[in-house]
Amino acid sequence: MKRIFKKSKEALSKVISKVNSKLKLKKKLKPAKAVTADAQKDAFGFQETAIANTKFSHAQNVSPDRSMPQELLSSYDVDKIVLQVRDPHWLHAYWEVRNQTTERLRVNLGDRFHGARRVLRVYDVTSIIFNGSNANRFFDIVINDFASSWYINTDGPGRSWCVDLGLMLTDGSFITIIRSNVVQTPLDGPSWITDEEWMIPDDLFARLYGMGFGLGKSSPVGGAWQERIKQGLFSSGISSSPVKKEIKERNFWLKVDCELIVYGATEPDASVTVQGVPVKLRQDGTFTLRYYLPDGKQVIPVKATSADKLENRTVTPIVIRETK
Amino acid sequence: MTKGYLCLVLHGHLPFVRHPEHENFLEEDWLYEAITETYVPLLSVFEGLVNDGIDFRITMTLSPTLISMLADPLLEERYLKHINRLIELSQKEMERTKWHHDFRSLAQMYFDRFSHARDIFLKYNCNLVYAFKKFQDLGKLEIITCGATHGFFPLMDVCRESVRAQVKVAADHYESVLGRRPKGIWLPECGFCPGHDEILKEAGISYFFTDSHGILHGTPRPKYGVFAPVYCKGTGVAAFGRDLESSKQVWSSIEGYPGDYNYREFYRDVGFDLEFDYIKPYIHPDGVRINTGIKYYRITGSNNHKEPYVPEWARERAAEHAGNFMFNRQKQADYLNNLMGKPPIIVSPYDAELFGHWWYEGPIWLDFLFRKVACDQQSIRMITPSEYLEQNPRNQVITPSFSSWGYKGYAEMWLQGTNDWIYRHLHVASARMTELVKSFPHSGGLQLRALNQALRELLLAQSSDWGFILGTGTHTSYAVRRTKDHLLRFNRLYEDIKSNHIDEPWLSDIEYKDNLFPNINYQHHQ
Repeated sequence: MKRIFKKSKEALSKVISKVNSKLKLKKKLKPAKAVTADAQKDAFGFQETAIANTKFSHAQNVSPDRSMPQELLSSYDVDKIVLQVRDPHWLHAYWEVRNQTTERLRVNLGDRFHGARRVLRVYDVTSIIFNGSNANRFFDIVINDFASSWYINTDGPGRSWCVDLGLMLTDGSFITIIRSNVVQTPLDGPSWITDEEWMIPDDLFARLYGMGFGLGKSSPVGGAWQERIKQGLFSSGISSSPVKKEIKERNFWLKVDCELIVYGATEPDASVTVQGVPVKLRQDGTFTLRYYLPDGKQVIPVKATSADKLENRTVTPIVIRETK
Repeated sequence: MTKGYLCLVLHGHLPFVRHPEHENFLEEDWLYEAITETYVPLLSVFEGLVNDGIDFRITMTLSPTLISMLADPLLEERYLKHINRLIELSQKEMERTKWHHDFRSLAQMYFDRFSHARDIFLKYNCNLVYAFKKFQDLGKLEIITCGATHGFFPLMDVCRESVRAQVKVAADHYESVLGRRPKGIWLPECGFCPGHDEILKEAGISYFFTDSHGILHGTPRPKYGVFAPVYCKGTGVAAFGRDLESSKQVWSSIEGYPGDYNYREFYRDVGFDLEFDYIKPYIHPDGVRINTGIKYYRITGSNNHKEPYVPEWARERAAEHAGNFMFNRQKQADYLNNLMGKPPIIVSPYDAELFGHWWYEGPIWLDFLFRKVACDQQSIRMITPSEYLEQNPRNQVITPSFSSWGYKGYAEMWLQGTNDWIYRHLHVASARMTELVKSFPHSGGLQLRALNQALRELLLAQSSDWGFILGTGTHTSYAVRRTKDHLLRFNRLYEDIKSNHIDEPWLSDIEYKDNLFPNINYQHHQ
C-alpha cells in the first residue's frame, strides 16, 4: 500500500501555478505550509480541470469584432425564487421580485414596513410534506436589498431544504414574499442504511470504500469518513506509480534561437542548388532559403548553372554559430 | 482464469462550434486538432488491432454535438484545408531544420502523421463517424450517447423537461446516425441527480456512469462499492461507478503517466516558438499566435530547459506505462476478487481528447495496453458495460447519489460566482419551451420549423462547456457570447411563435448557422 501523493503542497502549488499560468487561469493559489492530503486531492481535481481545459485552447487578445447585438433581459417580471444544490453542504438560491410586489407589501404593511429587513429563511423539510409551518427546523440569513442570489451553507448533507425570501419586521415577525422549490443535498459519506440481502461487514466495505479515493477538502468524502481513513482504517489505493520526479521552481526565462536566411538571384531560367539540393527560383530569378542554425560550422555552397549548361557560378558562404 | 474486468471508457465530446459566417474561426480548431491528434490516432489503433487479430473492448462516447460536427460538410471541407496547411508547414519545416538532425526527423514525423490523418479522413469520405461505426459493428467498440449538447443535468433538475429533451434528442440522433438505439449514456460531466434515471429509462437507455461517490454514497450502501454496477431503485437502469485509482494514474499531470519526462511537451509549439513572419501564415489571421500541433520538445524536466523529443524513447515509456497500468489492474482485480468473492469490474473513464491532444503518446499507450491485456496475461479481461450486464444480470438495487466528476465532485464547477448568472436565463427559457410545447401540441410548416429551431437554440445554450469555460475565469468572451446568442435567438423565436409572426428569412439564417439535429422533435421537451 503506497500513497500515490508524495510531493509537498508547496511544490504542488508551484507546478499548478505553472499549469495555471500556461492556461492563463487567474485563480491564485494560496501559499502553502504543510503537506496535507487535502491539498493533494485539491491539486488532483485542479489538474483534471486544467487539463480538461486544454481542449479549449484559446488565442489571446482576439480582436473583439464579435460584439453582441443585444443583451439578455435583466428581469423577467416574475416573483420567483429557485433553489439548487451545489454540494452536500451548500445551496444556491436566485430570485426575482417585481417592483409591484414590493410596493404592495409596503402599502399593506404601512409603518411596519420600515426597518424591515430582507431575510432568507432556510427550512429543513427532510421527510415531511412542508406546509409552511411544520419544518424540522429553520435558520435565517439577513441579506441586503440588492442581492438577487445567495450561497447558503446548510451544513446539512443528506437533508431536504426549502427557502423563503421574506421580510423580518422589527417586531420579529416574518412575512414570506416567495417560496422556493424543495431540494435535497447528497450525503457526504456512505449511507448508514444497509440492505439485508446485500449485507457487507463494515470493515470490508471500508476497504472497498477507501480504495482509490484521494482524500482531501475538495474530495466528496465527508470529514468523519476522512478521519477514519486517516487513522489507517482504509486502504487508499494499491497502485504503485512509476513516475518519480523532482519538482523545481520555474524561474524567469529567456529563449534565443538563430535562423539563417540564404538568398540570392540569378538568371530566371538558370538552375540553382544549395548544398547540392535543387532550389526553386521565383519568376524573377531570386530565391530565399531559411534554415534553423545549430551551433557549429555550416558550409553552404550555392551553385548556379545557366540554362544552356555552359556556365557555372558557385558562391559558398560559411557560417559559424557559437552560443555562449 | 478471469479475476476481474476492465472497462475502459473514453468520453469523446466537443461543443458545437461551427461558424459559417466567418472564414476563419479560431474555436473550430478544437475540432480540427481533436481529429488530427485524437480521433484519427484512435481509429488507427483500432484498425491495427483488428488487422492483427487482437481482441479488444472499449466504450466510447460520441457526443451528439461531436457527431454533428464530424458529419457536417462545411466543417469537413474546412478540416481538409486545415490539414493541408499543416502538411505544407511540416514540409517547410523539413527544409528549415535540415541542419538539425533531431528537429529534421521530427518535422518528417509530423509530415507523415498529418498526411496519414488526411488519408484516413479521406478514406472514410471525410466522415469519421462511419469509421467509429465500423468498429462498433465489429463488436470491439461500444459507442454510447451523451446529453444532446452536453448540458449539465443536475443544474436542470428544476426543469426536467430539458433533461428529457437532452436525452431523447440525443437518443434519436444516435439512432439516425448509427442505426440502432443507444444502450448506454455518458451523463454530461458525469452529472447525476436521483430521478434522472427515469428519463433514461423512457429513452430506452439501460446504463450510465457516475463518479465513485455517486455509487459509494448511494442508499442503501452498495455492497461491492464501485466494483459492480447497481440498478437504480424504481427504474432498473444500471449505474457503473468510476474507479478513481486508475483514473489518477492517467489524469494526474504530476504523478500520472503523461508527466513523464520523455513524453512530448504540450506547451512548446512552433506556433509560439518560431519567428513571427515565418509562422504568420499558419497562425490566426489577426496575428495571434496559436498552437499548430508541431511541437519539438520533450518534457525533459521540471524547469524551462527543454530537449528535443525522441519518439522512440517516448514509445518505450508508453509501453512501460501500459505494462504498469495492466500490472496495477491485475493486482487490484486480485485484491478485490478476494474481498468480494467475485470478479470486480474496474471502470476507467477518461476524456477522449486527452489521448493524443494533451497526452500525445496516449493512443500508443492504449495500443500497448490492449495488446498486453490480450496476449500477456489472463487475470483481467476487457469488457463493455452491456456485455457485463448480459453476463451478470443480478445486481444490487440502490439510489445513487447526486454527483459529478467535476472539480470537488458536485456542481461547483458550473455553479460559482463567474457562471451562476446563466441559470436564471436558462431556466426561464426551459419553462418557455415547455409552454410552447403545451400551447402547440400539433404544428406544421413554418411554425414547426420555428418550434424545432427554438429547441435547438435552447439546447445549444445549455452546453456545460460554456459554464465550464466561464468557471475557469479566462477567455470567457466566447462562452458568454454563445450562451447569450442562443438564449437571445430562443427568446426571439418564443415571442415570434406566440405572436404568430415568424420572420422566415431570419429563421432560415439561424437554421443555417445552428444546423445540428436536422430531425429534431420539439415535443421531446415535456
